[in-house]
Amino acid sequence: MVSPVRSICIVGGGTAGWLTAGIIAARHRAESGRGLQITLVESETIGIVGVGEGTWPTMRTTLKKMGISETDFFRQCNASFKQGAKFARWATGEESDFYYHPLMLPEGFPSLDLAPFWTKYSDEHADAPSFSDAVCFQEAVCELGLAPKLITSPEYAGVVNYAYHLDAGKFAAFVRDHCIKNLGIRHIVDEVTQVVKNDTGDIAYVETSKSGRLGGDLFIDASGFRSLLLGEAMGVPFVDCSHVLFIDRALAMQVPYGDEQSNITPHTVSTAQKHGWIWDIGLQSRRGVGYVFSSNHTTVDAALAELRAYVGGAHRDLQPREIKITSGHRQTFWKGNCVAVGLAGGFLEPLEASALVLIELSADMISAMMPATRETMDIVARRFNQTTQYRWDRIIDFLKLHYILSQRTDSKFWIDNRDPASIPESLKEQMELWRYRAPGDQDFTSNNEMFPAASYQYVLFGMGFRMDVRHQPLDRDLGSAQRAFTQNDTLKGKWTKALPKNRDLINKIKDLGLQKI
Amino acid sequence: MRLVELSRSEHAGLRIRADRVEASAASQHLVPIVVSEFRKAATQYPIVFAKNPETGRFAPYVLNGLGVEENLFWSGTELDVAYVPLNVRRQPFYVGMNDAPNGPATNVLCIDLDSACLDGSGTKTIVNPDGSDSAYLKEILSILGELVAGKKTTEQFIASVLSLDLLAPIMLDIVLDDGTPLQVQGLYGLDEEKFRQLDAGQVASLWKTGYLDLIYAVLIASGQIFKLIRMKNQRIAASRAWHSNAS
Repeated sequence: MVSPVRSICIVGGGTAGWLTAGIIAARHRAESGRGLQITLVESETIGIVGVGEGTWPTMRTTLKKMGISETDFFRQCNASFKQGAKFARWATGEESDFYYHPLMLPEGFPSLDLAPFWTKYSDEHADAPSFSDAVCFQEAVCELGLAPKLITSPEYAGVVNYAYHLDAGKFAAFVRDHCIKNLGIRHIVDEVTQVVKNDTGDIAYVETSKSGRLGGDLFIDASGFRSLLLGEAMGVPFVDCSHVLFIDRALAMQVPYGDEQSNITPHTVSTAQKHGWIWDIGLQSRRGVGYVFSSNHTTVDAALAELRAYVGGAHRDLQPREIKITSGHRQTFWKGNCVAVGLAGGFLEPLEASALVLIELSADMISAMMPATRETMDIVARRFNQTTQYRWDRIIDFLKLHYILSQRTDSKFWIDNRDPASIPESLKEQMELWRYRAPGDQDFTSNNEMFPAASYQYVLFGMGFRMDVRHQPLDRDLGSAQRAFTQNDTLKGKWTKALPKNRDLINKIKDLGLQKI
Repeated sequence: MRLVELSRSEHAGLRIRADRVEASAASQHLVPIVVSEFRKAATQYPIVFAKNPETGRFAPYVLNGLGVEENLFWSGTELDVAYVPLNVRRQPFYVGMNDAPNGPATNVLCIDLDSACLDGSGTKTIVNPDGSDSAYLKEILSILGELVAGKKTTEQFIASVLSLDLLAPIMLDIVLDDGTPLQVQGLYGLDEEKFRQLDAGQVASLWKTGYLDLIYAVLIASGQIFKLIRMKNQRIAASRAWHSNAS
């Protein structure tokens, strides 16, 4: 006897719940004969944490697949363009210290690797441009506050690669409305009072205050930090990563613009502080600013003073929201007939905006691997766990990379971050190899990589890492490298002239809309 | 360009050279048209759609050349073509918007005082000796009237084909006789395959609004691209002959 998987019950209606519902519905509604019934139950009283205000470029495909118009998204989610991150004061801590992790690959990458050529040149020239500026023109676009596309660019198409900044609360409501109206998701607003398992250990149903029992062949836990289904009911323990990543507290503020029509910064700014770092994300109507820090290294009051110094005296009346966080994830992500997405699966500091992209990737994987029967679900679960664990490990490595090369000595926070005991072995191994050659695709061979080798290059060389290139044969590709550097300069000249200011384009999109083609 | 509102008294002495009007299009590879021109334009040009660089909105155009700033119909003295679009013929006059602080914006007739058509040797004037509008100005007013009226109907037609997903980018991949590859970008046309998939109700509604005629005009006009390629190749051959004679 086989038990087909026909219905899915999602518990939790933040961005994790609604994105997952939308991604699964967009795929499975279209398939004839395999209509999955999707129910999402969310509480009226439990608010959303709304941590994710920065996305990856993957969000463009995600929204498009769900049948959402990019124009509507801009009109309703307070959204803006993001073209990567600017990391300020991470390396030396000085005022002038910054580097970019843009969303575009270095010119010619990966068939041509400019890193050794740039290293050699900057070894010999004190006035050499920074790595990110020399190999990618997106830094110049960001520094000028320009948008990544034109009003004539179709929806979701860019002149340069881009992602979004968004208002997580508005975004969850926007995706919810689309899911209910266009994707046939059954929406129940109610409190889940109990999670009831059957004798095989699977979840049989969730009990609610007013709507009775909600069953399902597959349960998706999108309940946030609480991890109501996977953590509480299925008893999957939490794996703490705070010995690697020390951040455990956030103070968040919404900072209004001085002038309503101030330009919107087209990238995330992440500024290192004494005991952590401050994110600064420009939306249409306000900036989202927050200090994430280690409460083992400083007090909340001292951190608040640093945050206030950052936002300036004009905003001294703003009250921050304090959020306690624990870096880490569940030991497994799919157990029995229950899989977790979003914060229910784990949390890491938002240094590389990994929260929303992990939801998209998890939902895509659940959707693509959707088991036809309960009997085949365990195989799917095993693969899902393997891949998801790999992804978390790579994100942890990559986040840690930002800390281990800092030369800051202004607090124990930075010194402790360089303690070899706090660095994962997998990252240590890579660092050994990268002393003599740049990160390349050969270092990242899984189909499920999170960050391309180029991202490691941007952070390594941005942080001032010096590679020994004396033994590298560079002559063969010297001509190609010179052409690539010139090409980057040409593109920089062309697009810094042609692209509009970020605010101006967003205003135009809201006013006139983008074409679908 | 120096646009000013036309004044029958102040500008009564202006002389206009109508023979220079077509020269204004000598280096325009796209000229915007309105739907009332589609049938006539289709007998001469490909009709394409392109986005306004300021607004991103689609508008229909006749295609004059295969490269930016190329007008293959320009002979050196005139446009050698049986139909010249209204937007060329109305030169050097324009319709401006009078945005009065109170009340609705109204159209005002403007003239470009920098236009090469304004010249003492011109034979056309805007008013007769008795001060009444000249036949020439009446003709201009009728052209501008058709353009103003056509703006809205053209936008409605565009909205309709967009809502039916009938526009698609045109991929022109041409190799000329001299081996030069040509890629034309940023142009859109009607997607014939999607058009064929419309259901009876959609087609009936296109027929009622008159849009079906316009769609067929565009589809038929698409074949005019071969004329442009032929003209371009003839130019290449002519220039080759000139070079070989010269050497």
